[in-house]
Amino acid sequence: MRSNKPRPTDGRNIDPLLGTLAGEGSLQRIRQVDAPPHGEFGSAGKTPGDVDGPSYYGLPVLKEPVWKWYIPAYFYVGGVAGSCAALGAAAAAVDREDFADLARLCDVTAAAGAVVSGGLLIADLGRPGRFINMMRVFRPSSPMNLGTWILTAFGGAATAAAISHYLPMPRWTRGLLIAGAGATGVTLTGYTGVLLAGTAVPIWQGARRELPLLFSASGAAAGGAFLELFSLGKPAEKAVDRFATASKAAELVLTVVFERAVGRVPRVARPLRRGLSGWLFRGSQALTAVSLVLPLLSSRRAVRVTAGVLGTAAALALRFGIIQAGRASARDPHATFEQQRAG
Amino acid sequence: VKVGFFTDTTLCIGCKACEVACKQWNQLGDDGFHLTGMSYDNTGRLGPSTWRHVTFVERDEPQAVLPSFAWLMMSDVCKHCERAGCLEQCPTGAIVRTEFDSVYVQPDICNGCGYCVSACPFGVIDRRQDDGRAWKCTLCYDRLKDDLVPACAKACPTASIQFGDLVQLRTKAEARVEQLKAHGVDGARLYGADAACQKGTEGLHAFFLICDEPEIYNLPPDPSVPTKGLAQSWRAMAAGVFGLAVLAASAVFSARSSR
Repeated sequence: MRSNKPRPTDGRNIDPLLGTLAGEGSLQRIRQVDAPPHGEFGSAGKTPGDVDGPSYYGLPVLKEPVWKWYIPAYFYVGGVAGSCAALGAAAAAVDREDFADLARLCDVTAAAGAVVSGGLLIADLGRPGRFINMMRVFRPSSPMNLGTWILTAFGGAATAAAISHYLPMPRWTRGLLIAGAGATGVTLTGYTGVLLAGTAVPIWQGARRELPLLFSASGAAAGGAFLELFSLGKPAEKAVDRFATASKAAELVLTVVFERAVGRVPRVARPLRRGLSGWLFRGSQALTAVSLVLPLLSSRRAVRVTAGVLGTAAALALRFGIIQAGRASARDPHATFEQQRAG
Repeated sequence: VKVGFFTDTTLCIGCKACEVACKQWNQLGDDGFHLTGMSYDNTGRLGPSTWRHVTFVERDEPQAVLPSFAWLMMSDVCKHCERAGCLEQCPTGAIVRTEFDSVYVQPDICNGCGYCVSACPFGVIDRRQDDGRAWKCTLCYDRLKDDLVPACAKACPTASIQFGDLVQLRTKAEARVEQLKAHGVDGARLYGADAACQKGTEGLHAFFLICDEPEIYNLPPDPSVPTKGLAQSWRAMAAGVFGLAVLAASAVFSARSSR
């Protein structure tokens, strides 16, 4: 019997009435028949003047990371939340009236950041409804799996710590909750560097040791820049300024260390010098430098806020730049070849 | 027993029967029929709905015995690595090792996080954007369970794709390299046959006999499972995290008495 339905246009060319759809790939949801991926056909990524080694029509070896803007945005939000939790724990530990505002602001930021982080990560999934599958296993070999557990623990601790500021409870209970948020917070700030280092992307893999350090420092700088936007009274502002200055300086140094590490194979470092990723990376360095120097020149409120805004822009530019650099790096077959040939 | 593919590229005639058999058996969508301008390769790459891909290299260099112009064709596939980056990095446990020692993505578990895509050193696995999940060659898991040979190997008319017990395939492959070398094909070599041949992945369950540098077939020359260096990264993170904690504490405590 012939079916009167039009032929399926999903590229399978199987009439469901005539053939059984039971193959492994029949479960695939196909809305649009494949287009050339990443537009790479015929545009073999060659720059005039390059003397490249052998390759297969200049096509990429690796697949480009599929993450959308949610992931670099999460790196920023998670960094702010985690480092705020750490500073909040320190502020709560001194236990003085003039640090109470800072401690509360830090813990509320941490709790809000944890919620936003979770939302961003779920939104990035191909099947957001299945986000809970992340927690069906505990797998230490996968930084993303560990990261899910870290974020979950941090979310719980930070929320409890934020609420503890508004509820009467024994001092030691509150202290424990806040310390828990701080301890999980610093881990959240750093693990994202491990997440990227654990991929096959040359520019991320080439900085196995440097990326986690850079993300820790940059997370602290992002948190510091965020807190600079608020007036908190003299000693607390002083603490924020010191935290921000030191972490911005550390971030600046570590971006240089990172670039040198990936530059061991010059081709791998190329995305840091060219294109959108290069602009973002250099721009973030410049913004960090300006926001580092500004508060040292004047302690006026407008100057602090400007430094905070520039520092935030720097933190965002760095994260989007590193993800963009990873895309460019995965697209360049010679980065993969030369890194592996160099050993 | 460990089973896998031995793909002998010297026997490949570029008929793409493996591509068609794979698409047909697994009921995958077509590739949209684009012309790439790259020799006879209009498939371009392995993808979420393309689990076999025949590469066409037009080599135009003087050789010892072969004519200076040579076709080098290779049917590429998921390598089912002994140490598989996608499997080790999968945060949901959707990617598993089967009883045949192949690497299989469970479509009912995968939530499309995309980490495996960046973790594969061969650029095999990919996420289908409209489907949302990651897909790749299953080594015809469904056929193996029914004692059938994978569709591509079954369809291959020249035995370029051979399926079987990995130990036997390796012996066969080594003998074939010797034979080719005796005939003067100096470039013949195995790619990923075992841990000695490819340390980074500890051997591939789908390995190849190639006639030139791996790069011209779009194979990475010395791939490594990305989880191998993770201990270093975790140690660096511990240092960074400790520094961050010290920084927070010293910033607050040093500012305590300022006014």
